[in-house]
Amino acid sequence: MDPEELKILLAGYQDGELDPEQKRQVEQYLAQSPELRAELEKLNRVKEVTDKVQYKDLPLEVWDTYWQNLYRRLERGIGWIFTSIGAAIVLITGLYYLVKDYFLDAALPLLPKLGVGALIVGGSFLFVSVARQRLFAYNRDRYKEVQR
Amino acid sequence: MREDDNTLMSQLKRGKTAALAGLVEKYKKQAYFLALGMVGNSDDAYDISQEAFIRVYNSAATFDESKNFFPWFYSIVTNLCRNLLRKRQVHAARTVDIDDVDYMLTDCETPESGLLEDEEKRRLHRALLKLSFSDREIINLNHFRMMSYDEIATLLTIPKGTVMSRLYYARKRLGEYMEKEE
Repeated sequence: MDPEELKILLAGYQDGELDPEQKRQVEQYLAQSPELRAELEKLNRVKEVTDKVQYKDLPLEVWDTYWQNLYRRLERGIGWIFTSIGAAIVLITGLYYLVKDYFLDAALPLLPKLGVGALIVGGSFLFVSVARQRLFAYNRDRYKEVQR
Repeated sequence: MREDDNTLMSQLKRGKTAALAGLVEKYKKQAYFLALGMVGNSDDAYDISQEAFIRVYNSAATFDESKNFFPWFYSIVTNLCRNLLRKRQVHAARTVDIDDVDYMLTDCETPESGLLEDEEKRRLHRALLKLSFSDREIINLNHFRMMSYDEIATLLTIPKGTVMSRLYYARKRLGEYMEKEE
């Protein structure tokens, strides 16, 4: 048998996943080959460590509130979709009427138009910048679920 | 089990949110522990498990009812883990605390053995984080989720022999990384 194939069988041998014929073959080669025995010894050391370790469960109250938290997140997701659609409609129609009835109205003076335009552009920049920073900080906050 | 899950999924497709509660009750711990093994941090694992159920809810319409629910759900969880690990690489500042081994527990946590075990857990934790995603996945399923080769083969839709070879190489690399951490 190919030496690499034999080594692969060692994993199955450790886990008791070989059929009787494969097991017999591995044991036969193990008896003959010090190299294979050393390989098995290395794998056993790894398994020994991992077998000792388990993942810690979360406190019971976390599991008790799991569904409520999830439901809240689902609700928020739906809420955000409608809010985004509503905001987009309001913004687009608002901008349309602002341009049509204010900026394109030749009877109104130019200077206030420039002021309003600058306010809108500056405000938009500030809003995007602050929102981006807050979002960045929120995504990296490990304690966002902790109630202060 | 399969019928139960698929019945719940078809109810979810018809808009019954209560069906999601049934799936959550059944799989919340599995989702959490699977993610924990992949990302090595309990806060992130919790978030991923919740996000996975939100994706189930949002993608229920695309679920093929002729197939098992769990492998589909598992692929959602692993994709979320992959995305998170990719983000961690991009935003190097937001890396998992390298010494945070709080999520690991040993069988005999006595005060005398505590120090030694802490060191061993830290070594294992660091070595696990160095493994590739696919090595960590197979180690996680076999060592920490106690799944048999047949169960892993079904879940990942790979032959049993591939499970064995992936496990062999993953275990070997884990051993090498643990030695380097000594």
